[in-house]
This record gives sequence, structure tokens and C-alpha cells, in this order.
Amino acid sequence: MKNRYFAAAVIAALSAGPVVAQESDTLRVGMSGGYFPFTFVSQNELQGFEVDVMNAVGEEAGLEIEFETMSFSGLIGALEAGRIDTIANQITITPEREAAFLFTQPYVIDGAQVVTREGNDEIDGVDSLRGKTVAVNLGSNFEQLLRELPFADEINIRTYESNIEQDTALGRVDAFVMDRVSSAQVIKESPLPLQLAGNPFSEIRNALPFRNDEEGREMRDRVDAALTALREDGTLTEISEKWFDSDITSAPEE
Amino acid sequence: MRALDLDYMLGLVPVILGYVPLTLFMAVMAMLMALILASMLAVERVFRVPVLDWLVMLFISFFRGTPLLVQLFLFYYGLPQVLAFLTQINGVTAAIMGLTLHFSAYMAESIRAAITGVDRSQWEAARSIGMTQWQMMRRIILPQATRVAAPTLVNYFIDMIKSTSLAFTLGVTEMMGAAQKEAAGSFLYFEAFLVVAIIYWIIVEVLSQGQKRLEIFLNRAYAR
Repeated sequence: MKNRYFAAAVIAALSAGPVVAQESDTLRVGMSGGYFPFTFVSQNELQGFEVDVMNAVGEEAGLEIEFETMSFSGLIGALEAGRIDTIANQITITPEREAAFLFTQPYVIDGAQVVTREGNDEIDGVDSLRGKTVAVNLGSNFEQLLRELPFADEINIRTYESNIEQDTALGRVDAFVMDRVSSAQVIKESPLPLQLAGNPFSEIRNALPFRNDEEGREMRDRVDAALTALREDGTLTEISEKWFDSDITSAPEE
Repeated sequence: MRALDLDYMLGLVPVILGYVPLTLFMAVMAMLMALILASMLAVERVFRVPVLDWLVMLFISFFRGTPLLVQLFLFYYGLPQVLAFLTQINGVTAAIMGLTLHFSAYMAESIRAAITGVDRSQWEAARSIGMTQWQMMRRIILPQATRVAAPTLVNYFIDMIKSTSLAFTLGVTEMMGAAQKEAAGSFLYFEAFLVVAIIYWIIVEVLSQGQKRLEIFLNRAYAR
């Protein structure tokens, strides 16, 4: 009897891997759990904008959503290795990533923002970062954006696994760069002495990446259809208003 | 200086305590496997089996000569690129395996020292009454070596409990990972890391009391 349970467990464990390409109704979503207010943990409960969006997608598409939290820099590798099916962590569409993954439509349109310690008026945007030390999250698109600046070699870029806000507040670095929406939210909600420095300097579009294979394509199409439906019935706007008091899910009409 | 947010800290205590079983599970599993592996390595080092001895020395040299964090990363993020089936291993298993290999290298050395530390007369006496090598080890040498090795082995166990905090770099939400995530949401870093530090401290203090009792128990034959 015991052996049969053991055998069943072994079979279950073996078939859980990415090797088996079967119609699956579970979507394993990777996120860092450390990017306020998109994905964060409070009182042991995973929450945030991304969590709400993915739960809505799951309901719309009839998918069971399983969240897996891991360090941000490990997320892309986990997607490639098949440990997870997609990443909901403000993944910006870049040409490099588009070559490797299939993306859904963008569900957040945002800008890159420089943030500095409160009272540091020396820095008023990306152009004043010359000769300064700037923190970014390791593996994030903001690191790439900084390295592409014409004066990139004059900026001392420091990559972090986490806690860039804290090191900026402590004055260990002069500024950090992250998306505009979460920056504004961090300044509003956290006790850290921080301020926005100037205007956003680049438009970024965030979407959900999937592996470029048959299973990934199928899942991408299902999730993308769900996003379209959630956009049309106003759910995306509603979730955005809940976390940001504004709609960040579509392009500003100008 | 701002005041500590005590309410937040109190609220965090049950959250972090919820991860104590996972931390202890990883440490106890790794300790049991490391004890077995280290004993085998140590016995080999005492008897110096040809060829095998060279491999054991290489093993010990590598796992003592490189940091645990490097070993965990090599094992969890690096090796799967070469051996695809390793992607099936989850973070908890990888952490336990990493801790086992790392600490068995150290523990082997202290067990070996304890074995060779047993007085020559004991070995000779055992041989003179016709004991086999296995009987001698089991009945004469190891019981005496255990007493000598026990304090250092418990120290390695304490070190192991604290080293499980590195598992969060493999995506395992254990005590440290939970604290890190709570801090990333609340930005109350000092409070979050202080709570997790105090809980580790209490666990280790409790173990230290157990260590004292164990030493008294093992020394009872020598008490004067």
C-alpha cells in the first residue's frame, strides 16, 4: 500500500516537469514578491497589482494560478528552464527579450524615473546623473536603459538584488532608477525620505513573457485573450485605480 | 533617529515563526545526511584506502575551499545548464544537498581527529583480544571518539541552522526570505531584520542548552 503511494508520488513528481507537453490548466507565475506595490508581501500574504491582475486573468481564462516567488534576477532563468510559465513582475518588452520570448499585449505603460534622497536638488533628471552613483535592480530593464545613455560611462551604475530604495535613502548611492508609477507609490507609502527627480525619461511597456514553444504559444494566446477581455470590461482600469489612483494600463491620450 | 515600530515587529513574529519548521527541517535533514557522509569520509581517511583516499581528499578540499554560497549557486543555477535533469530539483532540496556536502567536509575532519585522538593503547588492547577492525571501531573507538567530536558537531549544526538563511538566494522563502519580503513591502528594514535575528538567536540559545546536557551525558563515565 505504502509503495503504491510512493510510486504515485514519484510519477506525479516526474510528470510535473516541463518535459511533458500536455494541455495544462495551471499557470505557474513567477514574481519577486519584493517590488512594491506591484508584488510584495505583508503579513505573509502575497499581494499587489500583479497578483490582482493575474488572479483576474486566471478567472477569465479558466486557469489555476500558482504564484512562485524568487529573486528577481533568477526569474528569467526560471522561465527558460521551465520552472515557471510566465513572469508577472513588470517585465519590459525589449528587442532582446522579444527575440527569446513570446509576449502578451502590454498591460502597463509607464516611464523610467530617477529617484533621489529627499532634499538632494542637485539631481533633477537623467541628465544630471553624470558622475553620480546610481542603483538599479539586477537584471532589470533600467540597468539596460542607463547603459544605453550617451554618457553611460560617466555614471557609476550599481546593481542590487533588492533594497535600492533603502540604499538611496541612506545616501550610499545618489539615486535609483525604476518605473515612475512604483517610485511615486514608494515615496507616498513608505517612511523613506525620497523624492522624484525630474520627469520620466523613457516610455516602457510591460507585458507577460512566455517560452517560445508550442505550449508557450498556446498559453500566451489564452492569457492575451483574457487581457483583452479584462481591458474591455474595465477590470484592468479598476485594479490600477485600486493600487495607483490612476490608470496605468493604457497609453495616456495626448 | 526614528522610533522602532513595535506593533509591526510583534505582528511579524508569528509570520517569521511560521517558517521555523522549514528552517529546522532543512538543518536536521542536512545534519543527518552530513553525519552519515562525514563518518564514511572520516573512516576512509583513517584507513586510507588507495585511490579512494585521493578522491576523498579532493572532495574535502573542494567543499572546504569554496564558500557555501558559491557552491549553492553552482549547484542550483550553474549545473542545470550542463545536466538538464537538475532543473527538476527544487530550492529546498538543493539547499539541503548543498549544506550536506559543505558541512560533511568539515565534519569529516573533526570526526577523523576524534578517531585518531583515541589513545593508541585502546587500539592495541582491542586488537590483542582478537577484535576485528569493525568490532574495534564500533565497540571501542567510536564511543570514545563520539564524546570528543560531539561539541564540535553540535557547533556545526548551529552553524548549519544559520546557513539555511542562504536558501533564500535559491528562491526558498524561509525565515530570512520572509523577512526580506516583508521589508520590501513595508520598508521597515530594521524592524524586519531585527525580528529574524532575535528568532535565530533564541533557537541557537535553546540548542546550546541542549549541547551542555549532551556533553554532561557523554562525559558521565569520566566524571570524578
